[in-house]
Amino acid sequence: MTSLLEVSDLRVTHRGSPIVDGVDFKLDRGEALGLAGESGCGKTTTALALMKLLPPALTQSGSMTLRPEGAEEPINLGRRTEAGMQLVRWRHISLVFQGAMNSLDPVQRIDAQMAEAIRLHSDQKGGKEVGRKISDLFKTVGLPVSAARRYPHELSGGQRQRVMIALALCCDPSLVIADEPTTALDVVMQAQVLQLLERLRESLGLALILISHDLGVLGETCDRIAIMYAGRIVETGPVRSVFDDPQHPYTKLLLDSLPVIGGERGLAPPIPGAPPDPGSPPEGCRFRPRCPYAKDECLADPPLREVAKGQSAACHFAPWKKWPDPRAAAAAGKKA
Amino acid sequence: MSGRWLAGKAAAAVVTLVFVIVFNFFLFRVMGDPTTQFTRIPNITPTELADLRSDYGLDKPLLTGQFVDYIGDTASFDLGTSQRSRRAVWTEIKDALPWTLLLVGVGTLLATLIGSWLGVIAATRRGRNSDNGLLGFSLFTYAAPEYWIGIILILVFAFWIPILPAGLQMTPGVEFSSWVSEVTDVAEHLILPATAMTLMLLGQYFLIMRSSMVDVLTEDFITVKRATGLPWDRVVSRHAVPNALLPLVTLSAIQFGAVVGGAITIETIFSWPGLGELTFQAINDKDFPVLQGVFLVFSAGVIFANLLADCLYFYLDPRVKAD
Amino acid sequence: MSGTATPAGLDARAAAGAPVELADERLRDVLLGTWRGRISVGLLGFFIFIAIFGSLLAPDDPYASSLDVLAPPSWAHPLGTTEQGSDVLSQLLVGARVSIVVGFAAAAISALLGSIVGLTGGYLGGWPDRILDALENWFLVIPALPLMIVLARLLDPSLGVLILVIGLTSWAGTGRIVRAQVLTLRERAFVERAKALGAGDTYVIRTHILPNTLPLIFANTVLIVAVAILSEAALSFLGLGDPSRISWGTMLENAFDSGAPSAEAWWYVIPPGLCITLLVLSVSVIGFLFEEHINPRLRDDR
Repeated sequence: MTSLLEVSDLRVTHRGSPIVDGVDFKLDRGEALGLAGESGCGKTTTALALMKLLPPALTQSGSMTLRPEGAEEPINLGRRTEAGMQLVRWRHISLVFQGAMNSLDPVQRIDAQMAEAIRLHSDQKGGKEVGRKISDLFKTVGLPVSAARRYPHELSGGQRQRVMIALALCCDPSLVIADEPTTALDVVMQAQVLQLLERLRESLGLALILISHDLGVLGETCDRIAIMYAGRIVETGPVRSVFDDPQHPYTKLLLDSLPVIGGERGLAPPIPGAPPDPGSPPEGCRFRPRCPYAKDECLADPPLREVAKGQSAACHFAPWKKWPDPRAAAAAGKKA
Repeated sequence: MSGRWLAGKAAAAVVTLVFVIVFNFFLFRVMGDPTTQFTRIPNITPTELADLRSDYGLDKPLLTGQFVDYIGDTASFDLGTSQRSRRAVWTEIKDALPWTLLLVGVGTLLATLIGSWLGVIAATRRGRNSDNGLLGFSLFTYAAPEYWIGIILILVFAFWIPILPAGLQMTPGVEFSSWVSEVTDVAEHLILPATAMTLMLLGQYFLIMRSSMVDVLTEDFITVKRATGLPWDRVVSRHAVPNALLPLVTLSAIQFGAVVGGAITIETIFSWPGLGELTFQAINDKDFPVLQGVFLVFSAGVIFANLLADCLYFYLDPRVKAD
Repeated sequence: MSGTATPAGLDARAAAGAPVELADERLRDVLLGTWRGRISVGLLGFFIFIAIFGSLLAPDDPYASSLDVLAPPSWAHPLGTTEQGSDVLSQLLVGARVSIVVGFAAAAISALLGSIVGLTGGYLGGWPDRILDALENWFLVIPALPLMIVLARLLDPSLGVLILVIGLTSWAGTGRIVRAQVLTLRERAFVERAKALGAGDTYVIRTHILPNTLPLIFANTVLIVAVAILSEAALSFLGLGDPSRISWGTMLENAFDSGAPSAEAWWYVIPPGLCITLLVLSVSVIGFLFEEHINPRLRDDR
């Protein structure tokens, strides 16, 4: 089976500094991929690059191939012009944006905004047909149909995010990219929106790229996960194996910093240091300056390679059989 | 609720207007003693002066007499008599007002349309040569005195290349054969003053619209609209512009004061028979009743225009109606 | 877009009335960092120089009349002559003083008045604030030029009257900006802490409120200088200037009244207006640069 989306060597630069630095991944039909990392690691940039929506100051390169259901030949997104991309956007890939507050035009009614997108990509010009489509979508995402006649500010944050999901589904895409879809919501709403995404993915056979800094959110929803650091994927694999047996020190430290229910009281300390400035990345492994296990070998760039079944990591020392205590390792590293 | 917002604005406008009326009285009575005007009349005797004073009600006590009279007169549109023409000030104003409205209306309309259109163009081409050129041009028109621009327009288009009239609202002493030729004649006379007015206001509208558009274009919903596959020009025209218009409406209210200032100077150089020209003559003749009346009408006009802008905002932004 | 360095943090700070600074070394960058800034500072410096030394530089007595009326530019009169046969260039050089003096003095009055009203209202709150705020709003709504005309006509025209009239009518904008800044500063932790520790009002205003408000007042005052220069020119043009002094506004008045447009005497019409425009332009650009520096949201070249 061929995959739905194949991305290889995706690069985004801002005045010569790499923001996304050679990202490769594949996504199967109906699969949910989680993209995790600290803010500024290039997650959102990657998402926007997939739809070629980057601001003009950013330049992107690399190949992106989309094979939507029913399409005779694969769509080479990398080569598409702006006009060509307009046919792909929303028809095949749609986006649920992080800011639920500002993702809709504040001075237009919601149904008008949805009808605009529907009419853009289908021959359904009739008001009745479009109206029925909109009310179906509202039922699907669990909103009263009357909400369609409202303005965005008249809805709550959770309702607005449901509207965004309905909007994302209105042209039956094969891939939905959700960028921090729950960040602005309270915990109860977060859970509801995530369940909704999960349910829709199963019933509609959607592929999903879920972007979040919250590993907990990704763990619940995704099949596979990719951890990004400083513009690169440092580890990827099935969610369970990555969570249970991380193979990159960054993943390991990220997971350690999560609060564990029933575990020790208090939060584990966050990872010391800050991500590197994209203008002057460190030599070799990007994580080296913050890594407690760094050794001389790390001055060479580690490739992303398979270290366990379906799991890859970009670390010279993977696979890790056992993780030494980070503080002891750091102290030993300093002595050496 | 929806209506309350507008009602509040209307009430505030009325209060402001009342303050203008009160201020107007004390300004002219306290700072300028009206009797000084009569002493200029040659060979005036003290008894004649006293008669005049009582004619004008100046012998009454200031607050309980003169102020009460003034409020009553103003409420019935009696703004006194012009010392120059001996006509009622309100009649003079009524005759002049339509001409000012015509000039100000045409100038504001053109400036809004052209200015915001150029602002959209500049914002979508930010940092490029066309943007920088427009910025420079608008800063220049913002800094240049409008009457200077007007004088240059007269010099160039009325004398150097004599294709347009140098002043007045219509050709004097002509019997027009039909209303069409009359309208054409007025339009011809309107071109230069309206151009000066437009150029004066253009820069501000342009700068406001440009910065407003620049703000809107960084909003998330613009990216979402682009993500739906909407072509860029339609993202701009259907979503960015309607949102960018909101600050334009609010901020253009600040412009109304400048519009009045422009009306005074531009009408002066073009001998356009509006309120501005009336003001200029009153300045020259020290015709205080006219100055007082004109100040009142200008202030009321600006207050009313502000209220109108509020109404427009109310109509354009659904968020106002909610709370 | 989290991929790039986001300016959102700065926006939020500026919007929340965060402390703004105008450190010395940054001041130089703000003014001289761009070609726009360099040209504007140069132009303003040039006009100030003319304002001080203009009467010494004038080749002719600007008040001397001659029979050589409305003559085009020549070697004797590089910018031609006026309707009185006076030298236009000499009048132009002498006229700079009125614009500069009135512009800066009126703006100073306006800044002082606006700061006092804004500080008082914003800091005291309650009914004094409501009254002062209403006063500000009233002055903002009332059209400025008619009010100036009325005041200038009621008093007899002189340089001092011009300064006073313009200063008294243009402070409201400053007042409102200062008030808004003080209102947000008052709620901030360092002010509340100082008050909780028993600091007096004068102490709080001097050490916390003023230092964080002065840059705003300064930037705003620079913009008011431009408005004041334009107002002086307009009043002078309408015949409300100081009759004993030459200013660019009165030059334009004389040029217009004497029929310079019909005589196509462009040398008499263009220079005074152009000088006003360039002076206002340079002051405005400097003001905009300060404003941009204080409020990074306005910054353009990102």
